[in-house]
Amino acid sequence: MSLHPQLDPTLAPPFPQAALPMLRNPQLRKNVAHATDVIQAKRAKLVAEKTDWQQLRSAASDLRAHALENLGFYLEQFESRCTAAGGQVHWASDAAEARQIILDLLKQENATEVIKIKTMTSAEIQLNPFLESAGVAVFETDLAELIIQLGEDEPSHIVAPALHVNRSQVREIFARRMGLPKNEAEALTDDPEALTAAARTYLRHKFLTVPTAISGANFLIAETGSVAVVESEGNGRMCLTLPRTMITLAGIEKVLPRFQDLEVMLQVLARSATGERMNPYTSFWTGVTPGDGPQHFHVVLLDNQRSAILARPNERQTLKCIRCGACMNTCPVYRQTGGHAYGSVYPGPIGAILTPQLMQMQHAQSLPYASSLCGACYEVCPVKINIPEVLIDLRAQVVDQERDQPARFFDLMYIGMKAADFIFARPWRFHASQRLARIGLRLFTRRDGWIHSLPSLGAKWTQTRDLRGLPKQTFREWYAARPTNSTSSPSLDPEEMPGAPSMHRHSGAWVGDRKSQPGNPSGETRPSVLSSSDPEPKPGAPSMHRHSGAWVGDRKSQSDKSKKEAQ
Amino acid sequence: MTQPPASRDRILANIRSATSAVSTPVEAAYAAFPRSYIHHGQLAPESRIALLIERLREYDAEVVEATPNTLPAAIAAQLAHSGKQRFVAPSGLPADWRAPGFNWQIDNGLTHAEIEQAEGVVTAAFCAIADSGTIVLHHGPTEGRRVLSLLPDWHLCILRASQVVETLPEYFSRCPQPPPLVTWISGPSATADIEMTRIKGVHGPRFLHVILVHNDLVRDESEAMHVKV
Repeated sequence: MSLHPQLDPTLAPPFPQAALPMLRNPQLRKNVAHATDVIQAKRAKLVAEKTDWQQLRSAASDLRAHALENLGFYLEQFESRCTAAGGQVHWASDAAEARQIILDLLKQENATEVIKIKTMTSAEIQLNPFLESAGVAVFETDLAELIIQLGEDEPSHIVAPALHVNRSQVREIFARRMGLPKNEAEALTDDPEALTAAARTYLRHKFLTVPTAISGANFLIAETGSVAVVESEGNGRMCLTLPRTMITLAGIEKVLPRFQDLEVMLQVLARSATGERMNPYTSFWTGVTPGDGPQHFHVVLLDNQRSAILARPNERQTLKCIRCGACMNTCPVYRQTGGHAYGSVYPGPIGAILTPQLMQMQHAQSLPYASSLCGACYEVCPVKINIPEVLIDLRAQVVDQERDQPARFFDLMYIGMKAADFIFARPWRFHASQRLARIGLRLFTRRDGWIHSLPSLGAKWTQTRDLRGLPKQTFREWYAARPTNSTSSPSLDPEEMPGAPSMHRHSGAWVGDRKSQPGNPSGETRPSVLSSSDPEPKPGAPSMHRHSGAWVGDRKSQSDKSKKEAQ
Repeated sequence: MTQPPASRDRILANIRSATSAVSTPVEAAYAAFPRSYIHHGQLAPESRIALLIERLREYDAEVVEATPNTLPAAIAAQLAHSGKQRFVAPSGLPADWRAPGFNWQIDNGLTHAEIEQAEGVVTAAFCAIADSGTIVLHHGPTEGRRVLSLLPDWHLCILRASQVVETLPEYFSRCPQPPPLVTWISGPSATADIEMTRIKGVHGPRFLHVILVHNDLVRDESEAMHVKV
């Protein structure tokens, strides 16, 4: 387990650098693979049984988009209804202001201790260290958050923050940090049931005695001023019921128009998040209810760059997110690296688009590249966030930033791209460069027709995969030389540029990862994401399906072709 | 009061300028998008009940069935079988549900410490959703305050067959006035935070028992129909 991973995007190393220690940690990769496999299998089963899944997804997406388009209206409605029901609404422009508002509220209560329901938004504003340094002891009550807190670790997943830790690691943390009598600590086994029981005992007294609690919000309901929290363990219900004062921290995007909208959101949330038909406990409350629960209730509405994201038409969809975590469970990158490599409390595909935007594109610019753009995240997203589209958009912004930096002149990638720009600008340059490349690459092409190693930048490709040697003839050369129509002269019409048809013959081999597939001499492999047994695509399938379908189809037609050729 | 209005106004101004291109009136836009998911279930009443029971059992809840006449005896049997003595009851719980021979405390403002001393609780419910195996509490007089069904380790919930709907949207159509306090319970407290192994019973009640009371189905079906019309 990595101690003290840095989840502050202003300080975290770039993704490729941060990912290396994770990739070299077999225990971590095993834990992450196991957890994401289990959730994905459960999710796939429950999504398949839902015959109206795509209709639910569409409605959920429309609802979230509508709420964002009318965010000002719904937030003001939420504020007035919540206030009328006895709650107090506070507005925080940024993390520092939110932290200060919460600390001031705790000081009003003379609070020295606070119990917390899991909230990623509080991790986003780095609330715990701030409160601790101001002399308030913070007790995380969600089991995973407790493991993280006691282990002085950081969350690696937004739904199951401790999925990178296994049972024996949990046992070790609990035995060391729970202040158990020596004999009890030694007797603690790594049976999840025993560990869960230890957490129950550890926190029970806190629930009954700490008078102030902090929660996040899964949804804010504008119509009623209510807040919704979904959970499993009952720690949420404890915090929502027993203390005198409740402080809820919520991003401004969390608002839904009406109570009834939950009939959509809560059918997709648990299935996507944990692969359950419904999570064990869901609570809604409205302001203050005399005789039931906390009699002081505050909501802190956090902007922290969300209104800026709202202003960007393409990226606005990022804010539709309901934090189910399905995108990370399915992501071929996240599944290898785990969450800490992303250097943010929001890891995985959603983190790769959310974090750079929360950082005003000043930090975390490597994250939009932490993706293969395979589109699996878009397929599973219950609110249809087109994550690949936003990733590409953010990559463009990163490139635009780099364009202004003098260092670019020393960057091989930049020089290469400039050279390509020059070459592609005129057909004859392209043609000449093809000839040159054919001659140059012949030096590296082995007798089997494959390039196994290239120098310099090319090594980045050949370190992990082979490259097919260039064919002896380009399509245009073949076309010009074909015997049937010898009168036609070679055309320079860009429409007839070599590429399209002949590329298909190579695409399978290019995409295939030959080095990791020793038993596959043809190099014809499907990228693993595309071969997943996920029951989607279904009607209304997102456009990435078409892309991936085309890829697979092309290779299939190519193999058909080679069969024909073989006959 | 102490709230500096500057942030509120700035945030709302930013939001308004970010969404200034939106011209459709809110109500019209809200009504416009399709909601073509399943609203009403297709199951016959008996199958709907059977589905709920199946789902509840999948969550490790214990379910027994009764009729209005056998209900008090069924409650007494559940309490006796629990091996527990001290129970709390919401203030509005019917008197004949408080089986004799046990130590009952009625919640007319019990302290948290007093409720924590109880070993079990008996409540009614607002409704139940078969599709997801969810019991819904709106915390009325027969369902009790939220804390009442939280601290005791053992929860017995009495459900009438007429309270069982098949789908989540059917539940929402049963509450035209959104209730201020709601708790949905889908099985006993659980976690899967350690290696995705589902463990029953973390902080909430570790034992959930349900008695399903048949026989009022026909009457309430017609009532429900009436309400819909």
